Amino acid sequence: MKNRVWTLNFPMMAKVLGWILMMESCFMLVPFATSLYYGEYECAKAFFLTLTFSAALGALMTFCLHPFKTSMRTREGLMITGLVWVLMSLLGCIPFLLTGALTSFPDAFFEMMSGFTTTGASVIRDVEVMPRGLLIWRSLTQWIGGMGIILFTLAVVPMLNHSGGLSLFNAEVTGITHDKLRPRVSQTAKSLWMVYIVLTIVLFVLLCFSPMEIFDALCCTLSTTSTGGFSTKNASVMYWNSTYINLVLTLFMFICGVNFALLYKFAKGDYKSLLSNDTLKWYFWFMAICSIMVGGMFFANKGDTTDTALHTGIQGFFQVISAATSSGFSAVDYEAHGSLVMSVLLLVMVFGSCAGSTAGGVKIDRMVLMMKCIANEIYHVLHPNSIEIIRLNGKSVSSESFNKTAAFLSIYMLIIVVCTLFYAAFGVPAFDSLFVSVSMISNIGLGCGVTGINGSFADLSSACKLVGAFEMLIGRLELFTIIVLFTRGFWKK
Amino acid sequence: MKIVIAGAGEVGSHLARLLSNEEQDIYVIDKDKRRLAILDAQNLYVVNGKPTSFQAMKQVGMKDCDLFIAVTPYETENVVACSIAKSLGARKTVARIDNYEFYNPDNRQYFASFGVDDLIYPENLAAEEMLMALKHTWVRNWYELFNGELIVVGVKLRGNSDLVNKSLIESSSAQFMHICAIKRKHDILIPRGNAIVLEDDIVYIATKREYLDQVIEKCGKRKKVINKVLIMGGSRIAKRLVRMSEGRYKFMIIEIDPVRSEEIAETLDCNVVCGDGRNNDLLQEENIESYDAFVALTDSSETNILACLSAKEHGVKKTIAEVENLQFISEAETLNIGTIINKKLLASSTIFQTLLDSDESNAKCLALNDAEVTEMVVKEGSKISAAPVKDLKLPQEMTLAGLVRDGVGYLVQGNTHLQPGDHVVVFSLSGWIHKVEKWFN
Repeated sequence: MKNRVWTLNFPMMAKVLGWILMMESCFMLVPFATSLYYGEYECAKAFFLTLTFSAALGALMTFCLHPFKTSMRTREGLMITGLVWVLMSLLGCIPFLLTGALTSFPDAFFEMMSGFTTTGASVIRDVEVMPRGLLIWRSLTQWIGGMGIILFTLAVVPMLNHSGGLSLFNAEVTGITHDKLRPRVSQTAKSLWMVYIVLTIVLFVLLCFSPMEIFDALCCTLSTTSTGGFSTKNASVMYWNSTYINLVLTLFMFICGVNFALLYKFAKGDYKSLLSNDTLKWYFWFMAICSIMVGGMFFANKGDTTDTALHTGIQGFFQVISAATSSGFSAVDYEAHGSLVMSVLLLVMVFGSCAGSTAGGVKIDRMVLMMKCIANEIYHVLHPNSIEIIRLNGKSVSSESFNKTAAFLSIYMLIIVVCTLFYAAFGVPAFDSLFVSVSMISNIGLGCGVTGINGSFADLSSACKLVGAFEMLIGRLELFTIIVLFTRGFWKK
Repeated sequence: MKIVIAGAGEVGSHLARLLSNEEQDIYVIDKDKRRLAILDAQNLYVVNGKPTSFQAMKQVGMKDCDLFIAVTPYETENVVACSIAKSLGARKTVARIDNYEFYNPDNRQYFASFGVDDLIYPENLAAEEMLMALKHTWVRNWYELFNGELIVVGVKLRGNSDLVNKSLIESSSAQFMHICAIKRKHDILIPRGNAIVLEDDIVYIATKREYLDQVIEKCGKRKKVINKVLIMGGSRIAKRLVRMSEGRYKFMIIEIDPVRSEEIAETLDCNVVCGDGRNNDLLQEENIESYDAFVALTDSSETNILACLSAKEHGVKKTIAEVENLQFISEAETLNIGTIINKKLLASSTIFQTLLDSDESNAKCLALNDAEVTEMVVKEGSKISAAPVKDLKLPQEMTLAGLVRDGVGYLVQGNTHLQPGDHVVVFSLSGWIHKVEKWFN
C-alpha cells in the first residue's frame, strides 16, 4: 500500500474548505431572504445562484473526498486559513457582479475582502441606491469576518476538534499568544462566538431605540460588533448626527476592541482578570488621551455650529475609537480639522486595540510589550548587570515572543512603506498613500484626501485595489500566516 | 469528561495526548513552562503551577473534575496532589507510585482514607508483563480474560507459518482463532476476510485456551521453557521482576554501577555481576549462551534494543527490551526482539481501565502502541446487540475479537448475535475507545 507522499495533506484541506464553503452558503441565505422580503428579485436570483453553487461545490469537496490521513499539521492550518479568506471573498463577489452593482472584478474583490477582513473601505460611491440584499450581505461579511469564519467552523464542525483544528485556530486568531478558554478547541471557539453573538444582540436592541430604521440598525450592528465599518448611508454615521447613536456605537466599538477571552471570563464572573489586565488598562488610557485631544480639536474648530459641547466631545471619542478599533465609521468630517487630528488618527490606526478582539492593527498588546522593553533597555544602561523580567498581564514574557513581536513590527512597517510607494507610483498623493496603506493593513477603512470623505476608494486604479485587498488579508491574519505561504521553506519537501 | 493530569513528564504527556484524542477535556498542570509549551499545541488546556498547588487546582476547577491523575516523578508529591484534588472536589483520583509497600492491598485503606482512590505502579505492571512474556515465549503480547477463557496474543509470523501469504478465509482457521489485527511495518490494520497475511507481520489473534496448541502450530512456533534469565541493568523494574518471580527463574543481573550492584546483591536473591552489559567479553565470560532469556532494562532505550539484538546473536532464545521512547517502539518491533516493555503504555492502559471503570462497566484495557484492546460489557438496548455482527456495519477502526457469555468464552463470527451482559473483547485503533463505548451503551 504505497501512497503518494504529499508535502501537504491536500485531500484533507479540500475537505475542510468544503465545510467552510457550505458554511458561507448558509450565511448567504440571509441576504437571499432579505432580497425576497424587499422584492428585489434580481438580487435574490443572484444570491440563490451563488449559494447553490457554493453549497454544491462545498458538498462535493467534503463528501466525495475520503482522505487517507485525517491529520493536519501547522502547514495545512496556515494554508487552509489563507485559502479560506481568498475563496470566501471570491464567492462573495459573485452576487455583486451578477446584479451588476459592481462591474469590474477588482472592485468586487476589493469590496468583499474589505468586508471579510472587517476593513470597511468601500468602492461603492452611492450605497443608498444599492439593493438591500447586497447591503446586508456587505455587513454580514464583516460580521462573519470579525470573529472569523474558521473559528465559527471550528465551533460547529466536530471533525476539526483535534490538534489540526488547533493549528487553524492559531492561524486565524490574533495576538502574540493565543489563550485557550477551555481544553478543547471547539469549546473555546463556541465560547468566543457566544460572547460575540450576545454583544450583537444587545447592540441591535439598543439601536432599535434610535432614529435608525430597523434595516439600518441591523446592518449597523453587524458592522459595529465586527468593528468593520460598512455603512448603509453615504455619509456613514454622520447621516443621523445623533448623540445617542454615537454614544452607543462608541461604547460597543470600544467593547469589541477588548480581548474576547477577557469578556468571556468577565461574563463567567472572573472580574479580577479583567481589571488586572495590563493591556486593557493601556487600551483604556490610550483611547482616553487620544480622544480628549481629538475631541478638543473638534471643539476648538467648532466655530458657530449649533452642536452642543457634549455632542462634539462624543464625536471626538467616536472618531478615535472608530479608528483605533479598525471600524472606520466617520461621525464627522475629520479631514477638515487639520493635520494634528489626522496624525493622531494615524497613530491610533497603527496600534489599534487589544489582541483577540475583532479589531485590526498592530494591537495594543504588542505596543505595551515594546514599550516595556524600551523602558527595560534604558534601565539597563544604568544598571548593566540587572536582570529584568518583562511581565505582561502578570505573566513573564519569553524572549521568543518578544523577538516575534519585534519581527512583526518590522514586517508591518515594511509592508506599509512598500505599499505606500506602490500607491504613490499610481498617482496617489504621498500622505494619502501612507494613510491608505496604514488603513488597509490595519483593517480600518478610513481614507484621506483622494480616498477620504469627499473622495472614494473607487478612484484608485485596479492594481491599487488588488494590492489593497492583499494588504487587508495580510493585516487581518497578522502577517505570518500569509507571508509564510510565499516562502520556499513552506513548499519544500 | 473532565480529566486533570498533574505532571507533564513522559507518562503525563503521553496520557494527555492519548486522552485528548479520545475527545476528553484535558487539563495539564506542571511547573515546567517548556514542557507545557510543547503540549499546548495539542487540543488541551495547560496550567503552569506546582502539581500540589491549591491555586493551580482552583484555576482548573476541581468541582467538576471527573478524574485526577498525578504522574509526577515523585510518589509523595503524587499522593499529596491527589489528596488535595479530592478535598477540592475531584470525583476520582489516581496516583503514580514506585514502591511496593504503597501498592500492597493491605495499605490501600490508608490511601483511600485521605483521598487517593487508585494507584498506578508502572514498574509492577512491567514486571507482570515480563513474567507473562517469560511464560509464553512464542508471543509478543499476551492478554488473558476471565482466567484464560479468552486469550488475545500478538505473534510475529515467520516464513514457516501456515498463515503467511494466505488470505484469512483461505487459511481456514476461523474455528479456533480469530485474527483481529495485523501490524505491518508501522501501520496497524484491522483485516477483513480477504486480507492477506505476509511474512514479518505481527498478527493479533483471539483464541481460547484449549485451542492454543493449534494456534501455535498454525503460527509455526514452538513453546520453550525458560529457566535461566540474564538481566542487564539493575533498575527498579529488574528488582520488581526478581521479587515477583518468586524463585521460578534463576536470575543473573549485570549492573554497571558498583554501589547499585552491591545494593542489589544485598537485597535480592540472585547473582549480580558488576560490569557493562554491552561488553562482549563480559557476556562470554558469564556464559551468555547458557541463558534462555535476556532482559535489557537500562535507562537507555537504544542500549536495550542493541543489547537484545546482540544477545540474539549469542543464541539466546527469548529477548525482552524496555523501550521507553515511544517513537522507537514500532521501529523496534520490526527488529528481532521478542517482547517490548514500555511503562508509559502500561500506565496508560491502567488509566483507560479506570476511565472505563467510572462508567460501571468493570472493563479491562490493554494499550498497544497504536491500538487498544478493551473488554466491554454489552448493555441493555445498546447498538451492538441490535443485530448479528455481520449486519451491524461496524466502523473499520474496530473489530470484535471474542466474547464471554455466562463464563464461557466464544470467538466472534459473522453470525454471532451479542446479548446484553456479554463481555466482549474489542480491538480498536488509538483514539477510538470513546466511539467503541458508544456502541456498547
